Amino acid sequence: VTARVLDGPPPAAGAESLDDHQARLGDLPGRTERAHLIRTLDAAGLLGRGGAGFPVGRKWGSVAERAKGHAVVLANGAEGEPLSHKDRVLMASRPHLVLDGLELAAEAVGARRAILYVGSEHAQARAALERALDERSAARSRSLPRVPTTIAAPPVSYIAGEESAAVHFVNSGDPRPTTVPPRPFEKGVGGRPTLVQNVESLAHAALIARFGDAWYREAGRAETPGTALVTVTGGSRPGVLEIDLGTTIGELAQWAGVTAGEGSPVLLGGYFGGLIAGADAWRLPLDPAILRRNGTAFGAGVVAFMGDEACGVTTTARIMDYMAGSSAAQCGPCVFGLRAVADASARIATGQAHQDDLTRLRGWSQSIAGRGACRLPDGTTGLLASSLRVYEADWASHQHHRRCLVRHGMARATA
Amino acid sequence: MSLRRALDSGQRLEIDRIACDAYGTCAELLPEGIDLDEWGYPIIAPGNVPLHLVDLAKRAVDACPVLALRLVKAQAPVAVAVLPPVPSLAARPDRMGGTPPWPPRPANKAPKRRTDQRRRG
Repeated sequence: VTARVLDGPPPAAGAESLDDHQARLGDLPGRTERAHLIRTLDAAGLLGRGGAGFPVGRKWGSVAERAKGHAVVLANGAEGEPLSHKDRVLMASRPHLVLDGLELAAEAVGARRAILYVGSEHAQARAALERALDERSAARSRSLPRVPTTIAAPPVSYIAGEESAAVHFVNSGDPRPTTVPPRPFEKGVGGRPTLVQNVESLAHAALIARFGDAWYREAGRAETPGTALVTVTGGSRPGVLEIDLGTTIGELAQWAGVTAGEGSPVLLGGYFGGLIAGADAWRLPLDPAILRRNGTAFGAGVVAFMGDEACGVTTTARIMDYMAGSSAAQCGPCVFGLRAVADASARIATGQAHQDDLTRLRGWSQSIAGRGACRLPDGTTGLLASSLRVYEADWASHQHHRRCLVRHGMARATA
Repeated sequence: MSLRRALDSGQRLEIDRIACDAYGTCAELLPEGIDLDEWGYPIIAPGNVPLHLVDLAKRAVDACPVLALRLVKAQAPVAVAVLPPVPSLAARPDRMGGTPPWPPRPANKAPKRRTDQRRRG
């Protein structure tokens, strides 16, 4: 456990004021140093924290080269992932760090307009950001040029945070993904090149602007440098933590007070992520590059310990139902495919499986991905595929014997 | 199966998934490269369209009632070459071992197939 973006007073103490923020971190560097910010971000190796892990410097660069001074920046704090809390905690406790990042981004890419995109369920975060914006306009002695900033609050929705959905909502009030290309960095808000960047990424960028890329790279224990916010559940101390990237899953389990046996299944990345299990899995470092090589993903930093007592089939069926209900109902393979997946999972979980349900689930876990405008079908079937692997015996017992291994107290062999 | 290489057209098929309404015309006109799932939505064979099928692919594009199909320039060269069966097709019980995508042009045949000789789906 470390402290960079969450350095300072504990997040539970509420929003840090502008004065406290300035006193703690000092001013941003001057204009000449800021002119190199995109290169500094590249050198730091900062990866986006919204889930996809795209390099931040490269993203800013691709907007900057199209902007001609007319770009838009959008801070993405939609956080629709049910298992993630890190963005709302960050926005509610460090609003000025997020706004520093947003203004730096606007200057670096050449934007005249900034949008704070905050899920309407995150009331505390929105209040903190509104107050912070007022504080900043009252105290304008700072070096950074002011960017007109508005707040947009999409309705509660899993997919509202997808970047084309965010742009769509700001443009027309409809938080559903659109067909890409054109991607937001080509044609986004008001038809202008738009940088959509997760709020945590912006907070890290604000620190890198102050302390440099070498400082950023001092943190991190494996391949990917830096620290990251994670949301941990399944232990006696659930919540949002900042970790050095490369911290192992086992270490995190200790900090979070997880009592489930070592090697018990863990859901990484959220409903969009994947399940892993086994002692080897618990030794894996939480590092985007290493996790990807091991067939899983860091995503938005969700680490949910599933425990030994919960039936993985039932949990998976519930998630599949949630995801099917989250479909924007625009693309056929998603509308029909995810509903079929959810229904078959529910039948298997409740001991009412049709004869070929499990076989069909296996097929759908491979055949639906990549066939939607956004990646909801990919994320959902990816999780399904990992569940079919990790809980293989449970699925088989539910399907063939209509019997839950957990409820019948039978030992589960974890992969 | 044959390992002969098909000539790469440098183009690939792209679907506007939001616009697509499962008319299925594309799969009927280009069964070599487009299959339908159980709800009638297209599954496109991976890789680029082989050169000898480009004309047929264009016809499929033009015939889509909702203009959801496009033939676009491939960004990076993608091998069209060796053509294993698409796992998603093979895994489906109703099409066990389904036809491989983009079959190479049969040997000793005229390079351009006449459309009236096409097998109807």
